Amino acid sequence: MAGSESVVIRSGLFRYPVPEGEQPALLACRCRGCGRIFFPAREICPDCFDAGALEETAIRGHGVVHASTVVHIPAPVGIPAPYAYGYVDMAEAPVRLFALFTGAEPAWFTPGREVELVIGPVRVDGQGREVIGFLFRPAAERRER
Amino acid sequence: MREVYVIGVGMTPFGKHPERSLRDLGREACLAALRDAGLGPAGIEGGYCGNALGPALQGETGIGQSVLWEVGVRGVPVVNVENACASGSTALHEGFKAVAGGFSDTALVVGVEKSVMPKGTMLNVGAAELEVQLGDVFPGTFALMAQQHMARYGTTREQIARVAVKNSAHGALNPYAQRRKALTLPEVLGSPMIADPLTLYSCCPNSDGAAAVVLATGERARRAGARAIRVAGSALTTGTYDARRDLTFWPSEIAAARQAYAQAGLGPGDVGVVEVHDAFTICEIVHCESLGLCAAGAGGRLIEEGATALGGRVPVNPSGGLLARGHPVGASGVAQAVEIAWQLRGQAGDRQVQGARVGLAQIMGGSQQGDARACTVHILVRD
Repeated sequence: MAGSESVVIRSGLFRYPVPEGEQPALLACRCRGCGRIFFPAREICPDCFDAGALEETAIRGHGVVHASTVVHIPAPVGIPAPYAYGYVDMAEAPVRLFALFTGAEPAWFTPGREVELVIGPVRVDGQGREVIGFLFRPAAERRER
Repeated sequence: MREVYVIGVGMTPFGKHPERSLRDLGREACLAALRDAGLGPAGIEGGYCGNALGPALQGETGIGQSVLWEVGVRGVPVVNVENACASGSTALHEGFKAVAGGFSDTALVVGVEKSVMPKGTMLNVGAAELEVQLGDVFPGTFALMAQQHMARYGTTREQIARVAVKNSAHGALNPYAQRRKALTLPEVLGSPMIADPLTLYSCCPNSDGAAAVVLATGERARRAGARAIRVAGSALTTGTYDARRDLTFWPSEIAAARQAYAQAGLGPGDVGVVEVHDAFTICEIVHCESLGLCAAGAGGRLIEEGATALGGRVPVNPSGGLLARGHPVGASGVAQAVEIAWQLRGQAGDRQVQGARVGLAQIMGGSQQGDARACTVHILVRD
């Protein structure tokens, strides 16, 4: 059950609430030197160092599950079992993200499945507050089938 | 660099020691190592202590100084090392560097930990990490690697579970081990699922315990006589932190193995006994591949063929490994060196590997973006 209060998992990762009319997005950065994208955003490109400047970019939309597992014990941070997580390769950016899965049975999220980014409740913390983070759910066209 | 030798080793039994403190456990291991080396505290010129969780779980800092003072060592440089599961082996690496580099002629290296949690509570470390905040748990991290290894190489659940069967059989022979019962394949596969495909007995236990090693120069080692074991290679690496890669191995381990073999002037074919970081069954399969005991992807077949069991071509984790000996986090890396020294000296009792002259110990700690934060490889040689 949603608590009356909610907290963002960490500031600077995404805008919350998601601005009306916008797609959920993660706030990342991109190196102008080598093009590599970093999430969470960082201050210095480890490859280009002084030769590369980082600019803000957003990661949004669809991706494909690269790896996944179903966890059968509750996470100490307060996620009930079973739940699934893994890595997702994003379609529109050369980036592989750690991904907590939601919106389907945990066993659904096998490699190759198409998923999409959502911003929403991840868990309830020790004080009963809803913790808002980023998750991946089955991509819309998949859910409609 | 000067040559460095292990001249004394000792450890406590690993397991549950609820009534004992970090300094109590550390003292027992240090005393055993000092007596094995035939040295008193005045003979020690530096101290290196691996501990990962003391500040978080026991509220203790400066544990190295506390433990070393228990055995009378004072007035010399003492360094506390935290590198997650590689804390103890990193302390060993630092002690090695001090002796090899000419800063001291002897060093006492100790790893000590109390990580047994009250029943029903989980070890919740690294809680500040974003991935942990999003539900990442240790077994899950390694389950992801197992899933990738199965998909890419056809490694089976049975092959992965056989690591626990083998290491529990080894642990049953080791009086220092926490788990002394040999498990069957159905018992490992049928234990409760933790993170698919890893079951309860695919995961190492939380443990309390300590282990210690005395290092010395060649001159000091000669006084110790036939018991001296040479540290032929000692490598410590950090991860590369880019998850956009093949997630069936750790780049940090490939690099550490390459460095240690190069230092030692030896290769995988020379190694006769191995201790690796089998915190979860899949780890041992991956380590066998990355250390060159078999080709990439062949780790499942290697365990199935029995090559890594006692009596096989290259026994891996004759102590029982982390799975059976137990895993007091900061002590495990030192305990591996203790086991290798016992094996090379022919003092390993019922679990003795016959005729081994070269031993290798590998352990890693922490995780970020699919790589380890720290990985060490040590190569020990009986000349």
